[in-house]
Order: sequence, then C-alpha cells, then structure tokens
Amino acid sequence: MSRLDRLAPPAAATVLLWISRTLFGLLVSYPVFLAVQASSMTAGPDGDAGLFQPGSLLLLELLRLSGPWLLGAARLALLLLGLSALFELVPFAMALDMLRLPIRPLRQRFQRAMRLFPSFFSLGAIALLGQAGILLAASLLGAALRPALASVDERLRTLAPLSLIGLGLIACGAFGGALDIARATLVRRAAHDDGEGGARAALARALFCLRQRPLQVLVGLYPSVAGSALSVLAAAWLLTRFVSQNSSGRALALTFGLHQLATLFALAWRVRWLGTALELSAESD
Amino acid sequence: MRRATQDLLIGAVFSALSALLSKALFLDTGATRAPDSGQALPAPTWPALADSPPRVASYSLEAKLDSERHRISGREKIHLLNRSNAALNELWFHLYLNAFKNDKTLFLRSPFGAGRSGDKAKEYGYVDVKRLIISGGDGRDLWPTRDRHSPDDPDDETDLRLPLPSPLEPGQTLDLELEFEDQLPELVERTGYVGSFHFVGQWFPKLARLEPNGVWSHFSFHPQSEFYADFGDYDVALDVPSAFQVGATGSKVSESRAQGRTLLRYHADAVHDFAWTAWDRFETRSELIAGTRVQVLYPPHQQRNAEAELDSVRFALPHFNARYGAYPYPNLTLVHPPEAAANAGGMEYPQLITTGGPWYSTFGGAHFIDVVTTHELGHQWFFGLLASNEHAEPFLDEGINSYAEAEALESRYGSASVYGAFGLSVSSSALNRLFSAARGEDERIAQGAADFATFRSLGALVYSRTATVLETLARVYGRQRFNHALGVYTRRFRFEHPTTADFLGVMRDELDREAAATLSLALSERGTVDYLVREISNAPLSAAAGVFDGPGGREQKKPEAPHPTLEYASRVVVYRHGSLQFPVQIELRFEDGTKQTRHWDGSGFTFNVDNVGPSPLESVNVDPEQRILLDDDRSNNWASTRDSAAPHFRERALYAAQLLLGAVGP
Repeated sequence: MSRLDRLAPPAAATVLLWISRTLFGLLVSYPVFLAVQASSMTAGPDGDAGLFQPGSLLLLELLRLSGPWLLGAARLALLLLGLSALFELVPFAMALDMLRLPIRPLRQRFQRAMRLFPSFFSLGAIALLGQAGILLAASLLGAALRPALASVDERLRTLAPLSLIGLGLIACGAFGGALDIARATLVRRAAHDDGEGGARAALARALFCLRQRPLQVLVGLYPSVAGSALSVLAAAWLLTRFVSQNSSGRALALTFGLHQLATLFALAWRVRWLGTALELSAESD
Repeated sequence: MRRATQDLLIGAVFSALSALLSKALFLDTGATRAPDSGQALPAPTWPALADSPPRVASYSLEAKLDSERHRISGREKIHLLNRSNAALNELWFHLYLNAFKNDKTLFLRSPFGAGRSGDKAKEYGYVDVKRLIISGGDGRDLWPTRDRHSPDDPDDETDLRLPLPSPLEPGQTLDLELEFEDQLPELVERTGYVGSFHFVGQWFPKLARLEPNGVWSHFSFHPQSEFYADFGDYDVALDVPSAFQVGATGSKVSESRAQGRTLLRYHADAVHDFAWTAWDRFETRSELIAGTRVQVLYPPHQQRNAEAELDSVRFALPHFNARYGAYPYPNLTLVHPPEAAANAGGMEYPQLITTGGPWYSTFGGAHFIDVVTTHELGHQWFFGLLASNEHAEPFLDEGINSYAEAEALESRYGSASVYGAFGLSVSSSALNRLFSAARGEDERIAQGAADFATFRSLGALVYSRTATVLETLARVYGRQRFNHALGVYTRRFRFEHPTTADFLGVMRDELDREAAATLSLALSERGTVDYLVREISNAPLSAAAGVFDGPGGREQKKPEAPHPTLEYASRVVVYRHGSLQFPVQIELRFEDGTKQTRHWDGSGFTFNVDNVGPSPLESVNVDPEQRILLDDDRSNNWASTRDSAAPHFRERALYAAQLLLGAVGP
C-alpha cells in the first residue's frame, strides 16, 4: 500500500496528477526560465521582482532586449509541452486506475499504465485529429459566412464566426469526454485483465455512450471545465486584491500557494469527472 | 439523474462566479504614479490667454454631397488679409485631395505604402477647380494661369502656385471666389468614403500658411506629413441627403429640410481647418462637459464605445483645460467611424476628432478607446490652438501631444493607463519607452515629416521618443515644474504658430537651462544616454603593511590576515554612455541589509562610488526610481554579488506551464 493509497481514491488521484503536472510544468518552463535568468534583467538588487512591477517597464525591457532568445526558448518549451502532454498519459492512466481499484502497489499501477500507454496514445492521436478537424470546419464555415454577413452590423459580423468556434469547442469537449470514457473503459478492462478489444473498440463504445447519453457526458464535464476557469480567475482575483506585488518572500509564497491551490482545485474537478466517466463506461457495457 | 442535476448546478455556480470574477478582474486598474522629484510648488501664475488669433485667411464654403457618386460640388470664398511685411505676388494653394488622383502622386507612388495606414487607394479621388476670380475684379478666371504641378514634381498637383495680377501690399485684403468639384476617394487616410459613410477632410482648395516675412509655407502632400495653415473664420453650408447625420467643425447655426435634402450651416471662429462627416447610419449622443457641448457620432451597436469616449472626455477635457488653458470653443464633435472605415479614425481637426476601434474595444482591460480619444482631444491644443508646422516640425504637435496624452492617462489610470487586467498593467510611459529605446540614434526627432526614412521611424521618434524625452524631464526635474513650463508654453503661444525655438525658449526660462540644453540635444542631435555598472569590488581592510619611515626610524610591518570585525572598502564605477546628461541617484545595498543613496550630477563619463563600512557591498542600482526613461538599456543599470534565482519568474512560468498542460494534456 502506497502513501497515496492512504488517501481517499479521488484525493489520491488528484495529488498524483498534481505532482506529475508540477514536475512536467517545471520541465516545460525551464528553457524560458533559463533565458530570463541569463538576461541581466534579473540581476538587480530585487532579483526578478522588478519584472512584475505595475506599469511593466522592466518586463517590456526584457522583451525588447531578450526577444530573440525568449522566442527560441519558447519554441523549445513548446516542444517540451507536447512531449510532456504525451508522457502525462502515464500518471493519468494511474489516476484512473486509482479511482477504479483503490488499493494497489504504485509499481503495479505504473506497470499497468505503461501497458495501456500505446492505446492511450492512439486514443489521444485520434482525439487530437478529431478535435482539430472540428475546429477547422468551424473556422472554415466562419470564413465562408463572412461575405454573407457583409451587410449586417459589426457586432454580428464578429460574433457569428466566434459562435461557430464556440460550438466547435463544445463539440470538441464532447469528443474529449468520449475520449475519457474510452480511456476509462480501457482501464476497467485492464484491471480485470480483460483483453477484449483495444483502443478502437473502447472508442467505439465511448462514442456509442456519447450518442446514447450526450447530455450526461456534457453535463458531467461541465463542472470540470467551469471549475478550471473559476480556479484561474479566482487565483488572479485573490492575488490582485490581497497579495501585494512586491519582492518579499511572503508575497512570493502566497502567490505560489494560491496558484498551486488553483491547480489542485481544477485537477480535483477533473478527477471527479473521471469518476463519472468510469461510471458511464460501466453502464454502457 | 440526480448526479447530472448536481453537476449542472455546480457548473452553473462556477460559471456565474467566473463571470463575476472576470468583471472584477477586467475592470481592475491598479494605480501607482511615476516618481516626481520636484517639491510642491505654489499655485501657478499663468500668462494671460489670447482671446482669439489674428485672422489671415477666412473661408465661406458651400458643399453639396452626391452620396451615390461620392462627389462634392463646392463654392468657396476666401478673404485674405496680408499680415506679412512683404507684398505678395503670388498665392499658393494646397489641393490635398489630388494626393489620391493616381498612383504617381507623391502620396501614392511609394511602393512601400509609406503612409500612416500603408493602404493604397482603390478608387481614386481628386479636386477640380472650375473657376477662380477676384471678387469685385474684372471677372477673369485666373485659374488657368496657375502652375500645372507641384514644384519640381510633374506628377503631383497638391501644391500649386497662382500668380497674382497685381501685388497685394502688407495690410491689404483680397477676396477670391472659387468653384470646385471633389471626387472623394475610397477611404485611404482620413478622407473618402466606404459605402455610404463619408469623411470629408482636406477637401477644399486651401491657401498655404503665410509667414510674417511674406513667405508662403507650402509643401506637396507627403504620406508622412500633416498640415499647416493660418487661422481664420469658417462659414460652411452643407447640403446632404436627408437620411444622413452630419458632424462638422464648429457650431451648427441652422438646419432646414426640403426635397429630400438637408441644408446645414456651420460656423467656426478662429480655426485653421474645417472637416465634416456624413453617414445615414450614425447614432448620436451629446453632453455638456466643462462648458463644452460634446457630441459623439458612432455606428449602431457601439453604445459602449460612445460611453467610453464620453468618459474619456469627461476626464481629459477638464484636465487639459487646467494644464494647457481652457478649450475656447463651444462645441466638440467626436466621430467614431465604422469598422470598415477604420482609416478615418485617430485624426484631429479643429473642434472635431475621430476615434475608432471595433465594438469590443472596451472589453478585456485594454484602454484603447481612452488612448485614442485622449490623444486626439490633446490635439485640440497641440495642433488646434498651437498651430505649429506639422510638415516641418511634427514633434511639436504629435510628440508633445503624446506626452500630454500619457500624462493624462496616467493621472486617470496610474500604471494601468494602457492595459490593466488580470494583475498585469502596462503604462503609456513604459510603452512609449519600448517603442523609442531601440531607435534613439536612427534619426533626428526635430526634422520634417517627409525627411524620415519611413513612417515607422517617424512614429517611434516623433511620437514615442519625444514623449519619453519629456517624461524623463518631468521625472528628473519635477513633474510640477515641467507641467508648469508646458502650461506656460501652451498659454503664451495660444492661437499662434510656435516653433522648436519657441518651445526650447520656454523650457529654458521656466524649467532649467541645463534641462533645455539636454532637451535640445535629444531632439536635434540624436542625443542618447545609458547609465551602466560593470562590477562591484569589495576588499576587507587590514592594517597597512610595508616599510614605513617615521620619527622613530624605519619600521617594517607585515601583512595581517583581515579580521572579521574589520571594515570593508567597496567600490563601484558607474559609467555614462551617450551625449545626454541627467543627474542620477545610485542606490547601494550592503550585505547587512543597510542602504545608502548617492547622487551623481551626471557630469563626466564615470563616477566612482567608494564606501568604507562594516559590511561588504551587495548590490548597486543606478536610477532605482526609473526617472531616466531615456536610459537606453536598463538591464545594465545594476550589479549584484549574488546570483539571482529569479524565483518570481520561475513561479509564474511554472503556473503558466501547468495551465498549458491543463489545456493540451490529458
């Protein structure tokens, strides 16, 4: 029994995802961090605190003086982001496993997650292509609409294509929800050593579930998506209202604490949805 | 099903809270003021304000708009008083609309789209003068005697000379009558039409400015240039289709309708240009602000923008009145062009300004509407009342006005004057510095608009760098003192045509001789400055060793190991690169947490900061309050004996990466 298993399964899954997200986050941000540290902008008496002063004088100076290096670092960070998103599938599978089977050695979970990795990867690739296709279709439709909207007022001309993108995002959300159900199906079957079907069969079942219960999938996802938005906004609001923008260690600790609480909050609602996905997967068997 | 209901409720609560927080975050405008080194000054005493200017060229205009063909049939009477000390043998006319006549004109022939918008004309425009006679004369049409093209430019017809049949002696008047026909271009820059929207600027044959020595200040219409004219009175009758709403320079004195047409008459005293707009879809709002009737004309569904524009005027008009002398006219019209006519936006005419921006401009924390409205309103002083030569000395209007705009916006919004939301704020001063810092040595600021290599160069230097130079003076010599000096300038030269020498003269008298010299270098000699620190040296002091000859004979002292309680000698060398010289503060921080501030008057090229004390020097920061905004490179203004772990940036970068992973990860 691992330390995580002493927690309730949703809490354990949340903590596991937070740890992996933090580690991957450190990796992704490292190139940009190095580029900033290498600029002399952080070498002043207040370190890098000046970069976040009201007015952004020094932040703009950093962009002006170190723009090319920052751009290079950002490209590398983007590559690392893609790789991290890929390898985050492993802790993600472990988190699903925790929700499905509460007490298991971590190593066993890891091994199972590694076995599931190819299927998860395939599902991710399919989802990525599907979601890109949906958004492309929405934007092409928006572009095609533009000439027809030439005579309407400016507000409608802007909002009509945006609404199509919004609808596309909802469709992507639903597709992403189906993907989670497919992953949940794979985890359930792996837990029972049930080798029936692979990623394709799981996705077909998930899409069947989406067709059968579209509202349950969308409504089940809703708190997770809204919770993520709320966590970002609440952290930003609390920081602007209650944490002074100075160079003190206390302000830094408070900022870090609030940001990580926001991350945990968003992940907790994500985990709650994953629980629902497991239930929906079981019900559709 | 119960779970679904629960999820729906939770999601709805989260969404509602998110909406509330978004509103709070995007309305947040944290405020801090730029440092001000000046002591509080007593209530200012200002020079007396001139009531009105001496009139040189006054115009009576009649214009009939054909909104389908975008043509204007016009009649014009010019009353010219030769206030110069020389007899006039010729007149010079600006036919600005001919700038859009074909692709070979000075305005349109650059393949790089050198104008402000960078756009080319899609439908061409021009002005045809049909007839020009001297009132009360023999009725002979003088227009055929004009030069056919601008001086030394056979492809351009925007700057034409007309010989006079007899000299006009100093003090004499001349009345001219003209008939003309405008073909408006599809909107290129400020002038033209898009659909049924018409913005009509630079539309009538207009006399060049007559200098006191009898020389005409005339120029071909260059894409980087603006205008220059004499003060006069304007009486203008506009005939438009009845469905159209009209906004114009001056006060509307009459309006009548007949046969599907509306005839409006406008009068404007003591101005040097007249512009108007007509559109059948304008909505309007009007409000009395600081004694001025302010009217906003805006496209349908842009009430939020109109309100934001009025709000800007509610703040900025009294602010500028106090800073630069009261706005002397009873009316001010703001025109917000439709999105398709965005090129008409962001322009100033006497008593009429154009703003701009899409319908969602007020969302998201950016103060775009405030920036453009405040800037164009400022032009009522720096162009309208101080009618400098915008062609020859564009920084006198655009540059000083950019400072006035930034000063007003920062008075209103503090450090969030350009953007303020989500805990991030961007100030006008910081943005001006960003644009200007990289281009300080490119070209002189104080040169003609047409002399700049590109419009981007003009933009960076005339607008941003001038504003940064003036902001630096305000921070170094005291904002109150600087603003007072600027207030004296605007009052002393109200209704006049001040030059660079006039501006520098007031700065020298009212601010500081040294400051005026620095200002002159910065404006005319590509002056730059960069304060920098290269290293910090610390050495523990121990008793002096060596061979010493004293009264008791020769003594040899051996070097001793430094004792921990001994003092440290610390040294920092601060360098000044560039030709500009500003007094500067140097902040020293020691390892025991103590601080000292030293002052360098900026003379010479190096300044040694020596200290002997109980603690080694940990860091040095030159200009810690960031007064010298002109400093070319702020990253070399400090040095520290400690390596920075950049914890603040690391924390934010981690959070940003976590959010991104949340968006693209599983």
